[in-house]
Amino acid sequence: MIEARNLTKIYGDKRALDDATFTVRPGLVTGFLGPNGAGKSTTMRMIVGLDRPTRGSVTVNGKRFADHAAPLHEVGVLLDAKAVHTGRSAHDHLLAMGATHGIGKKRVAEVIALTGLESVAKKRVGGFSLGMGQRLGIAAALLGDPATVILDEPVNGLDPEGVVWVRTLARFLASEGRTVFLSSHLMSEMAQTADHLIVLGRGKVLADSPVADVISQASGDAVRVRSPHADHLVSLLRGPDVAVTAVEPGVVELRGVTAERVGDLAASSGVVLHELTPLVRSLEDAYMTLTQDSVEYHAGGAASGNHVAPDTQTPQGATR
Amino acid sequence: MTATTPTRHLDRPAPPASRLSFGGVLRSEWIKLRTLRSTWWCLAVMVAVIVAFGALFSTSAGFFALDGATREQQQAVVAQSVTVGVVFGQLVASILGALVITGEFGTGMIRSTFTAVPRRGAALVAKLIVVAVTLFVVSFIGLVVSLLVNSAILPLHDISVDFADVALWKTVLGAAVSVAAIGMMALALGAIIRNGAGAIASAVGIVFVLPIVLQLFMTANDSVWLYNLNEIIPPNASARLYDYVVDGRSATMLPVPEGAWALEPWTALLVLAGWVVVLFAVAFALVKRRDV
Repeated sequence: MIEARNLTKIYGDKRALDDATFTVRPGLVTGFLGPNGAGKSTTMRMIVGLDRPTRGSVTVNGKRFADHAAPLHEVGVLLDAKAVHTGRSAHDHLLAMGATHGIGKKRVAEVIALTGLESVAKKRVGGFSLGMGQRLGIAAALLGDPATVILDEPVNGLDPEGVVWVRTLARFLASEGRTVFLSSHLMSEMAQTADHLIVLGRGKVLADSPVADVISQASGDAVRVRSPHADHLVSLLRGPDVAVTAVEPGVVELRGVTAERVGDLAASSGVVLHELTPLVRSLEDAYMTLTQDSVEYHAGGAASGNHVAPDTQTPQGATR
Repeated sequence: MTATTPTRHLDRPAPPASRLSFGGVLRSEWIKLRTLRSTWWCLAVMVAVIVAFGALFSTSAGFFALDGATREQQQAVVAQSVTVGVVFGQLVASILGALVITGEFGTGMIRSTFTAVPRRGAALVAKLIVVAVTLFVVSFIGLVVSLLVNSAILPLHDISVDFADVALWKTVLGAAVSVAAIGMMALALGAIIRNGAGAIASAVGIVFVLPIVLQLFMTANDSVWLYNLNEIIPPNASARLYDYVVDGRSATMLPVPEGAWALEPWTALLVLAGWVVVLFAVAFALVKRRDV
C-alpha cells in the first residue's frame, strides 16, 4: 500500500509533481502512465526517500519508507537499471545489497535464478546489455521479498520474451497479495498487465481508475452516424456537451452523446439512419487524449474532440 | 478484476526475520570495497610506494652514516627510511577514499545504497569505518614490510636497526593512522563533491599542493599565524603524527619561531581528528539533504 498525499516536487521553477494524491493498493497491478517528464520517476524516487518532497508526504504501509525497520522487506524498487556499480559483478552487487539486511547467499542465488542471470552473475555489470541490467535491477528489487514492488519502466530494453516474463511476474506478485506499481510508456503493455491506472501529465494526476474506466473516461461516449440527413440530425443534437466531427459527407462522429439517444431522436424525428456505431478507442488514444488535454489546458481552450483522427477509432469490441 | 483484495498465498516464502542493522551495513560496505578491482590496485600501489621509497632511501643512506652516531640518531634514520614513502601512500589512500563514494555517485550505485539504507548517515559512517580500518591495516603491513626491507639494507651503511625501540613503533603506528586519516578526509570530500575527478584533485591538492603554496607564502611573510596554519594543515599535521620522538623531542623538527605551535604526535592526532570530523560533518549535512 502506497499513499501519496498532496505530493509536490519543485525543481527550480519547474513543477515536476504538482499536488498528487493517490493510493496504490495491494493485490493489484497498478500502472503508472505519463509522457516523458510527467513526473513518474520523481514520484517513485520520493516513495523510497531518494528525493525529498517539496510539499506533501508519501507513506508505504503507513510509514515513511525510511522509518521501516527493514526497508528492503517493505519495498523492492527498480528505479533504473544503472543504479549499479559497473565494476562489480551482479552476484557481488546483490550480496552487498542483501548484507545490509542480513540477507545471505541463498536468497541471492534465488533471485539470480528467478531472473535468469546465472550465466552472467559472476561477470562485471559494466559489460551487461540493457536487458541484463534490467533483469539485475528486478533481481535487486525482489531481493528482500518485499510486500511492495516498484518498477520504473521494467520492460525497457527487454526482448519480447523478457516483456512477457515481466508481465507474468507482475501479475504473479500481485496475485500473492503484494502491491505492484509499475510505470511504462507502452500503453498496450499496461492494457495487458495492469488492473488499475494512474495517469500523470505535467505533474498532475489526470486519471486514477481501473483500466477500462480510464479508457471510457478519456473517450467519453462517441458514436459514428451515417445518414442522408446528417446535418438535420446534428442540428437537433447540438448542445454544449456534444462535439461533432464531420468525417465525410453524410458521416459524422459525435462525442458526448450515447447511441441510444441518437437512435431515439432519429426515430422520433423521422431521420433515416444508415449506420449508428458506438466507438471505443484504444488505450493509446485514450492516453493521448488525456495527456494532450493536459498540455492544451494551459494553451487555453479544451480539446473539441477533433484532434482524434477518425482512423484511430475502431468499432466497439474490436479492441482489447 | 475482482473487488476483493486477495490474501497472500501460503507458498509465498516467509519474510526473512532479518532487518536493517549497522553491523549489516558495515558488512555490506566491506563486501563493496573488496569486490572492486580498483580497491586492490590502490592497496597494492600504496604498499609498493611505501616499501619502494623506503628501500630507495636506505640504499642511499650512506650519507647519514656518520662515525660515532648515537643509537638515537641511527634509529631516527631508520624511522625516516620507513616513513619516507608515507606521503605517497597518503596520496594513493586519498584516491581510494574518494573513489569509494564518488564511484557510487558516478555509476548511480548510490541510489541502490540509499534505498537499502535510507538512513544515509549510517551508510556514510560505515563507509568511513571500513575505509579507515582497511587503510590502517594495509599501510601498517606496508610499513612493517618496509621496516624489514630497510633493516636488511641499512646495516650496509653501518646503521643497525633496533626492533625493540618503542619510539620506532610509535612512528610506524602514527604513519598508518595518518594514512587512514587522509583517506577518511578524501572520502568526506568525495561525498561533498560527488565527482570522482574533482574529489581526487581536491584531495591531492590538499596533500601535495597546499603545503607548497603555504611554503611560498611563508618565504615572503614570516608571520606566526601563517606558520601555525602550515603546522595544522592535514599533510603537515600527519607528518607530525609520525615524527620519531625521543624524550619529547622530535629528531627531524626544525626550530620553531617564538610563540608558534609545534605539534607533538598526540596533538597532531587531535588536529587530524578535527579535520576528519569537520569535513565529515559537512559531508553528512549535504548527503542527508540532497536528492540522489
